[in-house]
Amino acid sequence: MISKRMFPWLDERLGISGIYKTIFDRMVPKVNWWFTLGSATLFLFALQVVTGIMLSVYYVPSPDKAYDSIQYIMNGVAFGWLIRGIHHWGATLMVITVFLHMLRVFFYAAYKYPREITWTTGVLLLLATLGMGFTGYLLPWDQKAYWATTVGTSIAGAVPGIGDFILRALRGGNDLSGVTLARFFSAHIWMFPLIIIALIGVHLYLVIRIGISSIPKENE
Amino acid sequence: MNDVQKVQYKERYLRAKRNGEKFFPESLYRDMLVMFAIFLLLVGLSIFIGVAAEPKADPSDTTYIPRPEWYFLFLFEMLKFFPGSLEWVGTTIIPGAAVIALLLLPFYDKNPARHWKKRKFAIGFMSVVVVAMVFLTIQAAVTTPPQKNASAVAATLPAQITAGQDTYSVQCAECHGPDGGGGVIKGVKGLEGFKMKAINGQDEMYTRTDNTLYNIVEYGQPDLGMPPFGKAFGGELSRSDIDNLVTYMRYSWDNRVQMPKEAAQANAIPVLGPKDIPSYSVNIAPIVKRYCVSCHRPGKENNNYLMGGYNDVMNSGDHKPNVVAGDLNSNLIRMIHGEKITAGGAMPPTKSLSPDLIAIFERWVKAGAPEKPAK
Repeated sequence: MISKRMFPWLDERLGISGIYKTIFDRMVPKVNWWFTLGSATLFLFALQVVTGIMLSVYYVPSPDKAYDSIQYIMNGVAFGWLIRGIHHWGATLMVITVFLHMLRVFFYAAYKYPREITWTTGVLLLLATLGMGFTGYLLPWDQKAYWATTVGTSIAGAVPGIGDFILRALRGGNDLSGVTLARFFSAHIWMFPLIIIALIGVHLYLVIRIGISSIPKENE
Repeated sequence: MNDVQKVQYKERYLRAKRNGEKFFPESLYRDMLVMFAIFLLLVGLSIFIGVAAEPKADPSDTTYIPRPEWYFLFLFEMLKFFPGSLEWVGTTIIPGAAVIALLLLPFYDKNPARHWKKRKFAIGFMSVVVVAMVFLTIQAAVTTPPQKNASAVAATLPAQITAGQDTYSVQCAECHGPDGGGGVIKGVKGLEGFKMKAINGQDEMYTRTDNTLYNIVEYGQPDLGMPPFGKAFGGELSRSDIDNLVTYMRYSWDNRVQMPKEAAQANAIPVLGPKDIPSYSVNIAPIVKRYCVSCHRPGKENNNYLMGGYNDVMNSGDHKPNVVAGDLNSNLIRMIHGEKITAGGAMPPTKSLSPDLIAIFERWVKAGAPEKPAK
């Protein structure tokens, strides 16, 4: 068998069995179903990336074309409605799973020694997820999106002192315009995803290095 | 946590791991099961609920009630507790403090205990916060329900063409004729006798892009006598309305594109068989909508004869009744035959109805002008 000779050759060079031992072949404490929320969130993020890339094939981030391009995705593209549906509902579900995941960690005190940094990166991931929701909401360029973002950005503009600067930085001017759409699009498909991927890297590295927490016993 | 406690924790954790399970396959199996359930849930939501259609963004429509995405609703609702000059407390201080409190939680929560019985304050505090967030979200959802759209959003091409034709019939037919053919304008203030060119031929359709048509409708061409129709400029049409209108024009008059069959059927005036009894809702309303309503609606010169519904058609107007069941000498029938009577001149003023449409009106009046088809 060639594969019998291939694998040791590859393993010698790639260290596959080392990776397997570190990531998969390790003992973890016996836990319950609440501990699946983290991997569920990771799965949802992967799904958002895949469907998001598919949507970006047809989506046009300009005020003239955004709405029509989404109509085309919904009616013209084969299974476009399904891809957009998954992306739309996946966003909602991801916010729920991220939040529940945080509550699980809180109630089981899993943020305590030695997992403090895992927790901090997790909070940043929660904020980035909300940022994804906020920036993605504008992209369909429909009435709901337009007015929700108008209100959302004006709330950010109410910060004393630097509010006006934040407002103009978010909108790219005094009013919501094509510039706003362009920067929300850029934030939604480049800035936030890259931040999230980097943070997930740290988060998962720590989870594997330290191991998942166990359910606290009464004497702990 | 002091060093002794750290060592104790590590020992306990090692024991828990030793009595635990393998990540692969035991743990991963549960994870995969949940992932699969989530995937099925998402596909189900996409199929059975989908994504609600919304009209295109319209900065000129200030009547729209803004509402953030649902997971920001609790913040939105909380702001109501900080009116006026206190707003910055709700927008900045509380969310900012919450974020910092979360980020730094492991560093100021010095309690070494992990079981909930020994962390009653932390557990209680977080529970109250979560309950408050859920409560505020529900309250926001109740007090600020999502905006109902005035009319159904046309999401498919045939629906857009149909919506566009309805808009055309009401807003444009007055001057441009029921099918864009133009003619001499009659009965429109300020444009009486103006000879309107046809807009349904290649001259217009080949040389004007959708964008150009859109702009002409939204901004108007005041020097040529056309008023603006966009809401931002005092008209009645939203951006989606104008988009649909342009789609209708393009698919009906541009011979390079083909009208989808579905749309053609939806927009056709129903054919009346030789033995059928015409009724208002099935046969008359589609004709009235296309040829009459443009002028016979509120705010136009029409001797107060409105044709928006059955009761108005039968009973409104300065010269009422304009339709008398069974009487072919009623005003409406005489006027669509081109007679000049005290109630007014020939109708429609620009171009008379085709004989088969007039015949439908006559058969309807003779049948007693019923509103609904007999069962």
